[in-house]
Amino acid sequence: MTAPRSKSIVLWTFVISVLVLLSAPTIVVIGASFTSGNMIAFPPEGLSLKWYAKIAQATELWDAFLRSLYAAAICTIIAIPAGTLAGIALAKYPIRFATSVQMYLLLPFTIPLIGSGIGLMLVFGEARLLGQLWPVGVAVCVINLPFMIWAVSASAASLDPDLELAAANCGAPPLSTFIHVTIPGVMPGIISGSLLMFILALNEFLVSLLLVDARIVTLPVQIYNSIRSIITPDLAAVSVVFVACAVAAVFLLDRLVGLEIFLKSK
Amino acid sequence: MPREQGRDVEAMRESRPVLVSVNDVSMAYNGAYAVRSASFDLERGRFLTILGPSGSGKTTLLRLIAGFGRATSGEIFINGQPVSAVPPHKRSIGMVFQRLALFPHLTAAENVAFPLKMRRHDATTIAGKVTRFLELVKLGGLGGRRIHELSGGQQQRVAIARALVFEPDLLLLDEPLAALDRKLREDMQLEFRRIQRELGVTTINVTHDQREALVMSDEVIVMDAGKIQQKARPAETYRNPRNAFVANFIGVTGFVEGTATSVSGGLVRMSHGNVELAGIMAGDAAPPRIGQSLVGAIRAEQVRIAADRRQLGGLDTIVTGEIAEAIFEGERIVYEVRVAALGGVILRVFDHDPAEHSQFEPGAHVSLGWNASDVRLYGMD
Ligand SMILES: Nc1ncnc2c1ncn2[C@@H]1O[C@H](COP(=O)(O)OP(=O)(O)OP(=O)(O)O)[C@@H](O)[C@H]1O
Ligand SMILES: [Mg+2]
Repeated sequence: MTAPRSKSIVLWTFVISVLVLLSAPTIVVIGASFTSGNMIAFPPEGLSLKWYAKIAQATELWDAFLRSLYAAAICTIIAIPAGTLAGIALAKYPIRFATSVQMYLLLPFTIPLIGSGIGLMLVFGEARLLGQLWPVGVAVCVINLPFMIWAVSASAASLDPDLELAAANCGAPPLSTFIHVTIPGVMPGIISGSLLMFILALNEFLVSLLLVDARIVTLPVQIYNSIRSIITPDLAAVSVVFVACAVAAVFLLDRLVGLEIFLKSK
Repeated sequence: MPREQGRDVEAMRESRPVLVSVNDVSMAYNGAYAVRSASFDLERGRFLTILGPSGSGKTTLLRLIAGFGRATSGEIFINGQPVSAVPPHKRSIGMVFQRLALFPHLTAAENVAFPLKMRRHDATTIAGKVTRFLELVKLGGLGGRRIHELSGGQQQRVAIARALVFEPDLLLLDEPLAALDRKLREDMQLEFRRIQRELGVTTINVTHDQREALVMSDEVIVMDAGKIQQKARPAETYRNPRNAFVANFIGVTGFVEGTATSVSGGLVRMSHGNVELAGIMAGDAAPPRIGQSLVGAIRAEQVRIAADRRQLGGLDTIVTGEIAEAIFEGERIVYEVRVAALGGVILRVFDHDPAEHSQFEPGAHVSLGWNASDVRLYGMD
């Protein structure tokens, strides 16, 4: 019985090293944020919450955070109807330009962000919209929409096509069928997709950097600007708050649709 | 035409108004016909089963009646009105799908309420009807459960209640019992029949289970390769299959081939090598020409088996054979007997007498006997 044992030791070593590797940056940041010294360091020198107290008063950070939330909300609000309809259409109907659509869905991975960012900067500049916050939400939505479409179309593809026929058979006209059967059926995809869109928009850095000016920076840009001068532990504390938001979103996702659905992207 | 079949029998029963009339309907998918020139009438209140092997076009025909997809040619009439231009949600048809298609995000009661909500009934009517129909399918008290919290048989019942709650003109069942185990299936067959009688709703049931077709139906349509082979009452279908396909598909049947030698009255004599056989032409087929090739169908339960031909007194056709297989099926033994004189054809025989069980071992020489009046003859074209 030694073979299975050595196998499991190897397996566990592997799993643990991957976990450490994945969580190391987060652990370092969390540790550093509790330091009582004045320099960012890991392990922290002593324990204190003073940097949290500091960022709680740093109004420019809070304003930036609120601006990030605002942009993310705009992005999500646009993504939900657009991505839902596109995702359902993609999964259910034979689409004329299927391959081109598939190409479009790969965009977030193929086009360098800086490229699409500059493109959007030119478009919005032409439309004289630079210097406002909501275009950032729109831009992030345009760039990340394939994620939403993916989530919804995966959900729609796994939907039993008989369900819609059954609704029609029950006397539901097409619009009622869509509202009462199709939408609830793809709800897991809509929820996971929109949470993903929200988190991606909240974290978005490059596009914000290109589209905003100094008066309306979003949080990642604000942090970046601070790093350029001096790295103090308050930035670690801000990052922790950020991580906490992401964790909260994942927790919400688990409560709403169940993580296993999200992982299977159902 | 299949619809001519059994007309005289029909006439003897009380006649009722026709609810569904399928008129020369064909359906092709990319040029391949799934249903060819199907025609039949179904009277109000009757239970019709469409029986056929996999791929014979049963589901296709049922879906055309429900309004999912349009026939390539032909027309379907419901209550005398052509319905090809009527979308499914405007046809008053309840359907139980093969995989049930219950709405997973709703409770059992909400599923049953759905057709009523879509028809904009008021809340009190809905509540009353939902309770009544849940009780009808013996699910009173389980209305609050989600679909995945119900057993397979209970889900089946929810689907039935949902299909019936709006009191449709017509109920369609697409093999809803196929996935159930045998015991539950037989319970549900009786349940369907009870509910159907109680509500008097006209029903079309699809299955490839011949037992289900015979047990549940007023009438049976046998389909093969997209064509209706026969439409008749169950007993009629069983006793007088219209062609060799139906004879083979329903019941356990052996086939013997021969050449017609004489026709006298209804009885047709034929020979196979030096064996003399006889039988009756099936259905309304014309008498054969002398020398025409025929195939005779004989039911396993109409063949008797004995060690010696002297024990088969009273039977007019007797052949000898050798046991190829003895299959124990519990309440009976099925012998497969190879008859060398008939070209090595295998005939199957039931033995229901427990005392005589395993009387014959494979390899044993036996005599088989039957009556010519039980043999149905079909022309081979
Ligand atoms: N959507 C479709 N596209 C192309 N061919 C189809 C389609 N639906 C059915 N067919 C073909 O039509 C024929 C009849 O199919 P149908 O589903 O009506 O058979 P069935 O009698 O219901 O079989 P089963 O007992 O297996 O359910 C089959 O050969 C099938 O392959
Ligand atoms: Mg079928």
